[in-house]
Amino acid sequence: MRLTRPKVLGITFLVLGILLSLYSAARIDPAQRTTLGVGTLGTRDVPAQASLVLIGLITSLSGILALFDRLRRALAPTLVTVALLDMLALMIWAARGSSVDLVGMLAASLRMATPIALGSLAGIWCERSGVINIGIEGMMLAAAAFGFAVNLYLSQWLGPRAIWIGLLAAVLTGGLMAFFHAVLSIRFKTDQIISGTAINILAVGASGFLRRAYLVKAYFVGEILPIVNVPLLADIPILGAIFFQNRPIVYMMLILVVLTNFILFFTAWGLRTRAVGEHPLAADTVGIDVFKTRYVNVVIGGLMAGLAGGWFSLETVGSFEDLMTGGKGFIALAAMIFGNWTPYGAFMGALLFGFAEALEIKLQILDAPIPHQFLTMVPYFATMVVLAGLIGRTVPPAADGRPYEKQ
Amino acid sequence: MRKAIWPTIALVVAVSMVLAACGPTPTPVPPTKPPVAATATPVPPTKAPEPTKPAALKVGLVTDVGKVNDGTFNEFAYKGMMRAVDEFKLKSAFIETLAPTDYEKNISQFAEEKYDVIITVGFMIGDATAAMAKKYPTIKFAIVDFAYAPPIPNVMGLVFTEDQSGYLAGALAGLMTKSNVIGIVCGKEIPPVVKFRKGYENGAKSVNPNVKVLGVYIDSFTAPDKGKEAALSQIAEKADVIFGAGGPTGSGGIKAAAEKGVWVIGVDQDEYFTTFRDKKPGYDKLVSSAMKRVDVAVYTAIANAVKGTFKGGTAVFDATNDGVGLAPFHDAEKNIPKAVQDKLAEIAKGMKEGKITTGVKL
Repeated sequence: MRLTRPKVLGITFLVLGILLSLYSAARIDPAQRTTLGVGTLGTRDVPAQASLVLIGLITSLSGILALFDRLRRALAPTLVTVALLDMLALMIWAARGSSVDLVGMLAASLRMATPIALGSLAGIWCERSGVINIGIEGMMLAAAAFGFAVNLYLSQWLGPRAIWIGLLAAVLTGGLMAFFHAVLSIRFKTDQIISGTAINILAVGASGFLRRAYLVKAYFVGEILPIVNVPLLADIPILGAIFFQNRPIVYMMLILVVLTNFILFFTAWGLRTRAVGEHPLAADTVGIDVFKTRYVNVVIGGLMAGLAGGWFSLETVGSFEDLMTGGKGFIALAAMIFGNWTPYGAFMGALLFGFAEALEIKLQILDAPIPHQFLTMVPYFATMVVLAGLIGRTVPPAADGRPYEKQ
Repeated sequence: MRKAIWPTIALVVAVSMVLAACGPTPTPVPPTKPPVAATATPVPPTKAPEPTKPAALKVGLVTDVGKVNDGTFNEFAYKGMMRAVDEFKLKSAFIETLAPTDYEKNISQFAEEKYDVIITVGFMIGDATAAMAKKYPTIKFAIVDFAYAPPIPNVMGLVFTEDQSGYLAGALAGLMTKSNVIGIVCGKEIPPVVKFRKGYENGAKSVNPNVKVLGVYIDSFTAPDKGKEAALSQIAEKADVIFGAGGPTGSGGIKAAAEKGVWVIGVDQDEYFTTFRDKKPGYDKLVSSAMKRVDVAVYTAIANAVKGTFKGGTAVFDATNDGVGLAPFHDAEKNIPKAVQDKLAEIAKGMKEGKITTGVKL
C-alpha cells in the first residue's frame, strides 16, 4: 500500500479521534455540562463527556474514510469540517462546568478572517495570472496608513462622510503599490520575490514616516465604518448574527469571494487569466495579450489588498499604528495555498485562521490550562502544516513567478 | 542585451526609495512642536535665546516599540520629558523604536551625539540600556519600568507599583459590576502588565468576593484590532466592566467596549484626554484610569540631572508619593454611587498609609 497524503491524514485523524474519545471517557466528569450560547436562540446545554466522545468518533470515522480513499474530491472539505468540530470539542472541554458564547465567537472569527480572506483573494488574482505577490502585507499596511490619513485630513470638512473617501484612498493605495509591483515584475522582469520584499519594506518605512510626520501631530481617534444590518437576513437565528450584522468591508469580502470565483471560472477574462498563468506562450499564440492580462490582474489584486488594509484602520480601530497589519498579509498567502488557489478554498482557509485567533482569545478567557503563547502559535503552526502539503495536494499555476519573454 | 540594464535600474530605484523612506538609522526627530496639542502655550522654539551660561543639557528619549502619541505609556514619558524641557530650557529629541532589535542602535544614536541624559522607556529595553550605560559611563540614563540589581551607577531605574494602581481599578470594577463578571485586556505578559492584572484581580475580590475576572494577554502592544475582539469576547461572556492594560492594544479594547455600553477603565495616563479625547463615542463610559505617573518619574529624573542630584539606583513611584492612583471619574461620576466613591477613597487612603497591601508578588 503506497502511503499517499490522504492516507497520512487519515491515520492522523484516526489516532486523534481515538485519543480524544479515550481521554474524554476516562478523565471527564460525566455530570459536567457546557452551556453554549447560540445567539438569539438563547443557550444550549450539552453534556461535556458525551459530546467529546461523539466528536472523537466522528474524527476517527473521517480518518478511516480518508485512509481507504473514500472521500476523493470531498477530502479537503470533510477534513476541514472535522478539524472545526475538533476545535469545538476544545471549547466544550475548556468551558466544561461553565458557558461559552459560540455564535459570538463565530462572528468574531468571520471578522478576523476578513483581512486574511481579502489578502488571499489579492494573491489569487496575481498568481492565477502568473505573478507571485508576497508584497500583500506591505500593500495592506500602506493602504491602512494612507486611507486613515486621507480620512483624517478630509474629516475637517466632510465630517464622518470622509471615511468613505478614506476607504477609496486605501483601496487605490493598494492598487498603486500593486502597479509598482507589476511594472517591476512584468515590464522589467525583476525577481518577483525581491520586488515583493521591496514593497513590504517600503510600506513599513513609508507608513511609519507618514505617521510620524503628520498623524502624530494630529492626535486623532477616528470614526469607523458603521454596522449595517441586512434587512430580513439579519433576523435569521445564528446565521444572521454571524453573517448579516457586520460592517461594510465584511460584506464586500463575502461578495468579492463569490465574484472572484465567478470571474475566474465562468468568464472569458477568467479563462484568459488562467491560460496566461498556466502557459503564457500558448495564450500568446491564440492572441491573448499576456502583459495586459497580467497588469490588470495584479492591479485588481492590489485593490483587494488595499481594501484589507482599510479593514484595519477604517473598519476596526479608527487609528493607525505602525505594523498594525501584524503579518496577516503573509497568513493570507498561506490561506491561498491552503485553498489551492481557489477563492472558496482560500476563504475556508481564512476562516480557519480567523477562528484560531478567536479561539486563542476565548481559551484565555475560559482560563484553559494551555499557555496562551502556545495558542498564539496555532495559526502559524497551521500554516506550516498547510505549506508542508499535508492537506490536499496544492498545485500552483504552472507559470507562477516566471516572467514572460515575448518570442 | 539592451534590456538587461533595466532590471538593475529598477532595483536601484526601488532600493533607494526604501532607504529614503525608512532610513538605515532613524534620525532623532527634534520635537519642534509638541505632537500633542494638550500643552497650553507653546513657546516658539526658534525664539529660544542662545544660551549664555553653559550649553543646555541635551535630553534624548528612546521609546519602546510604540509611539510618542500612543495615548498611554510612551506618550506619558514624552510629556514628562517635555515638561522638564520647557521648565529648564533643555534641548531634546526622541526616537521611536520600530523593532526590538533596534534598541541599542537607537540609544547609541543619542550617545554618539553626546546627549547628557538618555531616557529609555519600557521593560523590554532593559538589557539594551544596561549594555549602553556600561559603554557610556559618563552619560546619565533613566529607564522606565526596570530596576537593576546590583544597581548601575549611571542608571536610574524608575519603577512603579502597578499592582496598587491595578488594585484600585479592580476595586472600582468589583463595586461597579452588576453581573459579577469583569474583564481585563492586557498587552504582552511582562512584569508591569502582570502586576496590573494581578492587582486588578485582587482588588476586585477584596470588595466583591463573588466576582469573576476574565483576562486576556495579547502578544503585542500595537494590535488594537485584537484588543477589540478580546473585549467583545469578554462582553459576550457577561463582563460589564473592562480594564484595558496594554497600550494601544488595551485602548482598542476599551474603546470598543465603551461603544458597546459597558464600563471601561483606562491605563497609565488619564485616557479621558487621549483615547476618548474630545468626547469620542463612549467617553461617558470611562469610569477612571489606573494611572502610572510615568511623566512624574521622567520629569524627576531629568530635574535631578539638571540640579546635579542625579543618582544611580532605583526610584519607586507608588501610592505614597502619588506615583500611581486612579484618575478622576469625569463624565461617569454621576453614575458612580456615593458609597462606591467613598469606599474607593478609603482604600486609596489605606494604601497611602500602608495599611492596605495588594498581595501581589512576582
